Amino acid sequence: MAENKRYKKFGSLQPNVDDIMKWNAELPENAFEPATSEEKENFIQDRKSVSYWKDAWRRLRKNTVAMVALAIIIILTLFAFVGPMVVPYTYKQQIRGSEALGLSHYTYEDIQAIHAYIEEHTGTGVLSPDEAVEQARAEAEANGKKLSRIEEAKIRAQASVNAESSEAEEETITESQAAKELGLKKKPFGYSEKELERKASGEKVFPHVFGTDDQGRDIMVRVMVGTRVSITVGICAALLVLIIGAVYGSISGYCGGAVDAVMQRIVEMIYSIPEMLIILLLSATLKPALEQFQNSGNGILQKLVTILGPNLISMFIAFGLLYWVTMSRIIRGQILQLKQQEYVTAARALGAKGGRIIRRHLLPNCIGQIVTTTFLQIPSAIFLESFLSFVGVGVSAPLTSLGSMCSEALSGLNTYPYRLFIPAVILSLMILSLNLFGDGLRDALDPRLKK
Amino acid sequence: MRKYTIRRIFMAVVTLLVVACLTFILMNAIPGNPWLSEKAPSQATIDALNAKYGLDQPVPVQMVKYLGNILHGDFGTSIKMQKNRAVLSIIMEMFPVSAKIGSIALLWAVLVGVPLGCLAAFKRGTWVDSLLRIVCTLGISMPGFVVATILLHTLCGGISGVKVFPALFDGSAKSYVLPCLALGFYPMCYLSRQTRTAMLDSINQEYIKTAKAKGLKNNKIIFKHALRNALIPVITYLGPQIAFTLCGGLVVERVFSIPGLGRYFIQSIQNRDYPVIMGTTIFLATFIIIMNLVVDLCYKLVDPRINLSNGGH
Repeated sequence: MAENKRYKKFGSLQPNVDDIMKWNAELPENAFEPATSEEKENFIQDRKSVSYWKDAWRRLRKNTVAMVALAIIIILTLFAFVGPMVVPYTYKQQIRGSEALGLSHYTYEDIQAIHAYIEEHTGTGVLSPDEAVEQARAEAEANGKKLSRIEEAKIRAQASVNAESSEAEEETITESQAAKELGLKKKPFGYSEKELERKASGEKVFPHVFGTDDQGRDIMVRVMVGTRVSITVGICAALLVLIIGAVYGSISGYCGGAVDAVMQRIVEMIYSIPEMLIILLLSATLKPALEQFQNSGNGILQKLVTILGPNLISMFIAFGLLYWVTMSRIIRGQILQLKQQEYVTAARALGAKGGRIIRRHLLPNCIGQIVTTTFLQIPSAIFLESFLSFVGVGVSAPLTSLGSMCSEALSGLNTYPYRLFIPAVILSLMILSLNLFGDGLRDALDPRLKK
Repeated sequence: MRKYTIRRIFMAVVTLLVVACLTFILMNAIPGNPWLSEKAPSQATIDALNAKYGLDQPVPVQMVKYLGNILHGDFGTSIKMQKNRAVLSIIMEMFPVSAKIGSIALLWAVLVGVPLGCLAAFKRGTWVDSLLRIVCTLGISMPGFVVATILLHTLCGGISGVKVFPALFDGSAKSYVLPCLALGFYPMCYLSRQTRTAMLDSINQEYIKTAKAKGLKNNKIIFKHALRNALIPVITYLGPQIAFTLCGGLVVERVFSIPGLGRYFIQSIQNRDYPVIMGTTIFLATFIIIMNLVVDLCYKLVDPRINLSNGGH
């Protein structure tokens, strides 16, 4: 091994060890032997060398806000990806008998008490005049007496008054009133009556933590799946933007001159195209075309289209067409600065080609900016996806996303506000923590930029 | 300056042309033809219809014709939503509502956001700064529909007893309040953040120290010296914010059921009313591009130091 290292590799600037030995006769024979592991251990370092990432991580750890944001991101990711495995319902499963459940329920015993109370205070619990007379007669006979006609008439009149008043009451008494009278309180989580019966008989029933929607679908699972869709879309879009932006920006920055000028004019033009309109336009026009393609066969591509849905595909196309410009501008700016550095000149002098210089020397040196910009692309993609889903051109049913859940809940906002606010809060929390963590990441990776 | 202006206008025209062509090509790529209905018409009928509407000509000819028509203000007619009504007249009816809400929203965003940003910069490190930072970070993290629905729910009768504003848009001054508030919230937070950064940059400059050393009052330093220079970068953010506000209007109009162009645009997409989609896209794109152009030119006017004639570098 040691012998091999003595001979220089082709293209290397390292001088040949044998030549040096020849020129300097006074050098000991083993001057250029590599150190043994023992020697290496004995060599005392003043300070442990810290890699770029370790250094960044150390700075990031000190940033409390970013760490809290990271914790929230991890919790949300677990919620989105592990949650649906824990909950026994699926996002499109319509559970019969548990439609439109709220966030809370009465226990099985309480429900029976409430029913009994309602029955007691409505028509069925009150005796009709004839029944009352019958009952009174039976009582009197048991006591060995007989009712006079006047007494019978009195009882009859009393009973009919009772019946009338209870009839009037019947309309007003509701479950909540009954519960109030009985002093019962709701317990958290939604259960349907059937599920409560099953639970009372000893079966284990998973609660509907956030209730169910009008079609009997568990809202919590739908929120989980929606979060999953949002995170996936965000990451995919960010990677797409990264790849296109990095390639375009580095070529434009490295080549310079006329190439750069033309490429920058294109960027400028794309920059001033209103993206939102183009996405809406794309989703309007690609939908029929993709649907036709979807029905044309049964290949892998068609299946992919079916899974993603035409709207998501048009969104990704729009990302690929329009959203990389910011990324490419940032990378170009960095590369314009970096390519003036000596090490690039050295690499060029040694005959490295443009592609190699970009890959090995320039891009690794602006990694901090690239990571930050890519990361901050995720919340903005999630933002956009939720926007599109909310206006109805996002993910297509039966798949759901946080934006489309909000949109569905809009019509019943006053009756079921939580159906809108739960996905909305999770969405906002996710974007907020991603933004905060992205800011922290930028401060950690690029301390020069810190304000 | 003149060279820059000409170049910038030229770029805007090219962009517009690209958007228009893109729109036309996309619309042409839709499979099927407009004459398909339950009763399949005969080939002769289709040919006759194609000839009547010029659909038998090659696509480039059609495109040039369409673009020519647009220049004359002819955007075609609606085929589904309001049958046979000219698209331009629909746009002209709907757009003023959207524009009114958008401009009020942007106005309050600027009027509140910029001073708040200054305040945060001057009270840097105090609780005022922290509070404003929390609010603004929250504001740019909440999608427009979340803000809009929260406002709708809390102030329009969702909570019993609190019904300050009408839930349905009826054109009265009161019904404008919430949509504008919701629409302007994001730009307000965004602008205030940008102003804070720009202001911090500018108060660390030497000339501010000089002004302080000469004994100028704080107010004068802020408004006369620091703010003027801090506003320059803020202006650049206004261009994209105009586009954002206009597009954010889509959501707000849906939440508050406002009969604006944004809501109509979404409906036309859902109903596949292609002439309306095309017309609206081109109209809105033109508006946004012109607004961006105006903002860019203003930027140059406000700050003559920056030489933009060679691409801004």
